[in-house]
Amino acid sequence: MLRIVAYRKAILAGAGGALVWEAVLRTLMLLGFHSFDIVRELGTLALPDGTAAEWWPAGIAAHAAVGAIWALFYAYFFWARFDWPPALQGLAFAALPAALAALLIYPQLRLMHMRQDVTQLDWRMFLTGLEQTRLGGLLLGHALFGLTVGAIYTHPVGYPATRKCSTPPNSRRPPNYNGTRVPADGRFIFATGIECSYPTTEHGRWRRDEMAATGHYRRWREDFELAREVGVTHIRYGPPLHLIFTGPGQYDWQWSDEPLQELERFGPEPIIDLCHFGVPTWLENFQNPEIADALAEYAGAFAKRYPWVRFYTPVNEMYVCARMSALDGRWNEELCDEGAFVRAVVNLASASIHMTSTILAARPDAVLINSESSEFYQPCCPDDDIQQTAKFENERRFLPLDLIYSHDVSPHMRDHLREQGVDDEQFAWFMASKPPRRTVLGLDYYEWNERLVSGDRRARALGELFGWYVIASQYWERYRRTLMHTETNRADAGDASRWLWRQWHNVQLLRSTGVPIIGFTWYSLTDQIDWNRGIEKPLGIIDPVGLFDLNRDPREVGLSYKHLIDAHRDRAGYRDCKAVKEVIG
Amino acid sequence: MAIFLSAHGYDPGPTQRPLIAGALSGVIATVPAVAILHLFGSLGVEASILRISELITIAAGVPLMALAGAVYGYVFGRAANDVRGGWLFGMAFGFALWAGGAVMVLPLASGGQTPAGEAAIGLILSLVAWGAALGAVHPFIHRPLHESIESAAKRSEVGPSAAASKNGHGPRRDLTSPREFP
Repeated sequence: MLRIVAYRKAILAGAGGALVWEAVLRTLMLLGFHSFDIVRELGTLALPDGTAAEWWPAGIAAHAAVGAIWALFYAYFFWARFDWPPALQGLAFAALPAALAALLIYPQLRLMHMRQDVTQLDWRMFLTGLEQTRLGGLLLGHALFGLTVGAIYTHPVGYPATRKCSTPPNSRRPPNYNGTRVPADGRFIFATGIECSYPTTEHGRWRRDEMAATGHYRRWREDFELAREVGVTHIRYGPPLHLIFTGPGQYDWQWSDEPLQELERFGPEPIIDLCHFGVPTWLENFQNPEIADALAEYAGAFAKRYPWVRFYTPVNEMYVCARMSALDGRWNEELCDEGAFVRAVVNLASASIHMTSTILAARPDAVLINSESSEFYQPCCPDDDIQQTAKFENERRFLPLDLIYSHDVSPHMRDHLREQGVDDEQFAWFMASKPPRRTVLGLDYYEWNERLVSGDRRARALGELFGWYVIASQYWERYRRTLMHTETNRADAGDASRWLWRQWHNVQLLRSTGVPIIGFTWYSLTDQIDWNRGIEKPLGIIDPVGLFDLNRDPREVGLSYKHLIDAHRDRAGYRDCKAVKEVIG
Repeated sequence: MAIFLSAHGYDPGPTQRPLIAGALSGVIATVPAVAILHLFGSLGVEASILRISELITIAAGVPLMALAGAVYGYVFGRAANDVRGGWLFGMAFGFALWAGGAVMVLPLASGGQTPAGEAAIGLILSLVAWGAALGAVHPFIHRPLHESIESAAKRSEVGPSAAASKNGHGPRRDLTSPREFP
């Protein structure tokens, strides 16, 4: 699969482009402009002796069909290749069909209109081409077509935030009774995940839904089968909060019932992501202090409905969520403000604590895996400003975890929080709320997690400078909590196997020093959509990071992961993992 | 297009057999193509231009279409397995074959003679239909030809040795993800 294409939209754009072309050119021709008449050319191919009333409908139908095919071609191969206004992209694309029409199709149409079966080719047909005015009409027609297609074909993924996604989970695939769920029994966790982000963009108007875009709602049963085939023991799974939690006390469980029923019976064991970068439209965004209570209500309802679920991630990557929403201005509230960032962190941390309580009320032995992005900022040079910036960022990366794990912050950070509106009473509440025993710190790691603070005070991705071992050690030293490697992948599909094994060696090395680590994760099962641009723009571009592509064909890293799991799962130390036993015991 | 295909990791998958899947799909797709050629009288016209019988035209066409199908499977790689878009990629490929083969090569091979009228219409429609059918059936042909994940995962190149760089030069893609501080 090349792109996520909105078929209906593309067909509408192509047919619309053909109609706009016809409306403008027909008017000009009626006014006396001598133009290339594509509708007549096509119509009279089918009805050579027909009247205008006969060839026109045939011609316009054929042209609309050709236009729709070109628009689909545009959607697959050209759309979003340049960061230009959509109409301009369509106009640039139209140069291709225009050139083909002038150099190839027009001479061929002349051949097709001949009333004989064979002709001796006269190469001048190709060289003389169209006379100027007819050529002008052809170019104008294509320009109109391109502008129309470009203007109509936008937003191939996602849907208006106020509208409900129209495709609830509906797998046509019959159940395959291949496998059985093995509840947590002390084995080391080999996990993957279904990418499920659902932030809003465009100031809350547009909803991104990665599960819809990757086809999971249609192919969930197949996805679970593939996960079992790879051999993972656990799957990070985030039922769509924005579609399930429709209002206070109102839930639409059709989005989770069937898939979770399948996971309950056949596995893999789910690690449920309750809030993954977005909230329902009625809760607005992460600036809303009411999200803590609302999400706690949801978490409790979820835990009661699925009492067999044991592993939860209450809020995924709080730091990234707050940063992208309130500091980088990309999602949800789309603010670029330090105060908004702190508010988002406080609301998310508060939500996480409240959700943990309601989950534990329903399932006292639940395991809480707080997945967070493991980050590091390296100052480029001894300049004081840059050193201070890196120091501040290296403390700020811990902030959400400090709040949920009741870890005190530095006096400088405490002053900063106070300046941003976190009063002493609120801070004391966080410091007093002790995390439960079965809490695991999940650390995600990607090639952009280590950043260089450069001379212009911008952060640039460094790649794997120190690696997960060093960064995770910093988090371990700070919190002393059982760890799990909860996400990694590689944007370069050709390098993904290398990346997988290197991450695994980092995990093994840290385990060998005595740090309790319960699991490892390649995220995600399938390719993702638009993550190479932080899902900020709804482009439908595929990020080839999955164990499988979106056709559900394996990538090399899928084979490597299976190899890795097969080689380790029954070995001592993995079959009976002390860290896992301590957490679940 | 080729750069686009490779840039996103669309090389044929590690368990895929693109050449044989493409060749088989190419042969299957000749059925509607030949029917259209026959319907428009293009088959006879082509045969007369090439000065061979219709049967030999078909007999020569089938291995050519198998070869073209194999090229399609190889060039489009993973994209050829797409059920939704396959027909479109195949149609584009069929159109390119028409432009290269029927428009350019056929007249050159026959001293400038080329089909006209309905025969010319039949020729373009048959190759576009061949491409669409090729692209549409390919995803279903390729599935049973897949090597199983179970056996492919045992290959040594996907094992621990993959941790070392394939070419000794590290990652292939530059990292560019600047983020500005407020």
